[in-house]
Amino acid sequence: MSDSDLPVVLIVEDEPDVAETYKLWLQQEYEVRMAQNGDEGLEQLDADVDVVLLDRMMPGLSGDEVLERIRERDLGCRVAMVTAVEPDFDILEMGFDAYLSKPIRSEQLHETVDNLLDRSEYDSLLQEYYALVEKQATLEATKSSAELAESDQYDELTERVAEMRDDLSETLGGIEDDSDFIATLRGLSDDDDN
Amino acid sequence: MTTTERQTMYDLTSVLEFDALSEVRPGSSILISGPAMSGKERLAHDILADGLRKGDGAVVVTTGDGAGSVVEEFRSLVPDLDDSQLGVIDCRGEGGTNEDAIGNAHVHHVSSPGDLTGIGIGITKALEGLHNAGNEQGRLALVSLSTMLTYTDKKTVFKFCHVLSSRLDSAGYIGVFTIDSGAHDDQTLQVIKQAFDGMVDVRDAEGGGREARVLGLAGEPTDWQQI
Repeated sequence: MSDSDLPVVLIVEDEPDVAETYKLWLQQEYEVRMAQNGDEGLEQLDADVDVVLLDRMMPGLSGDEVLERIRERDLGCRVAMVTAVEPDFDILEMGFDAYLSKPIRSEQLHETVDNLLDRSEYDSLLQEYYALVEKQATLEATKSSAELAESDQYDELTERVAEMRDDLSETLGGIEDDSDFIATLRGLSDDDDN
Repeated sequence: MTTTERQTMYDLTSVLEFDALSEVRPGSSILISGPAMSGKERLAHDILADGLRKGDGAVVVTTGDGAGSVVEEFRSLVPDLDDSQLGVIDCRGEGGTNEDAIGNAHVHHVSSPGDLTGIGIGITKALEGLHNAGNEQGRLALVSLSTMLTYTDKKTVFKFCHVLSSRLDSAGYIGVFTIDSGAHDDQTLQVIKQAFDGMVDVRDAEGGGREARVLGLAGEPTDWQQI
């Protein structure tokens, strides 16, 4: 666990002024770590890190290479690419969870980090939801409808499944946009590899 | 659910004559379940063809037929088909498609039915293509979940269905997904069902032909009825 309960954001950015600005904007709400290049970024990275802001064009390891190593380590953190040019759809195919194009404004940065944290929340809700659905299905597959009608456990499960379904549709507004959709699916495939 | 209010309901009764299917809410996902060879795929395609005739877009996620033959089939089901109203995500992971047959359809190839990210990207591109071609509403068919279940576990397929249903909900689409009820154990079927708003059960009728019933979309389950 990290020292504070705040979500941890790692900024990997080779321009010190830019990195400092991001830190100033974020440090009230998040624990911020900084790295000046890809190698330092990978050193600072551990299971506590929730979101990585990764500059794409850096001396040494490029953002793409850093991303690849992050995914290899299976840490489950979300990675936003920071880029000077407006990228196209291929960014999602490459495995980034979001992108920010420079210059970045404070609200934009907050929005992106919050959205990425919401996605992690969505993933864990979905996992919890599945666990309940599976329990419910096991009861349905092994008990008669008369037995189910009398089972308090089944009643309670059914209620919790319905509640959880509502919680899920409120997180991320369900799945509102393409990058939420693709990144969530990528998370599912990653689980599969474990 | 705030995105779908101004959109019109989907009427599926010209394909399946059930009152419960006369006003299907945009964003609904329906599981079509039945034994092998009971016409589930045909039913899913008929629902999409019906939509195409009414001006809805159509997206087919296929694990069995190639993109070329899907496009050909819809051309024969809907003689005045405008290809640009059709999207196909071909998940067989094979080349050798007859590219001539594809015309202006939005076609995307995915390496395998287990490549969920690839399928998602294909769906996103198809939805975008249909939107650019002027479609505000549409219908998506995934044929079949049973094949996906041979590539990945039920937990992943369940989550995939849930996430895709949410995406269809924000797009105002409806989705139909087929599953071979004889190919999976009861618990798996119960789990998968839970990812859907409703279900159409299909079976062979005793005196020949087929019958169906509708569960979970409006009111109590319907009776079995010849289709």
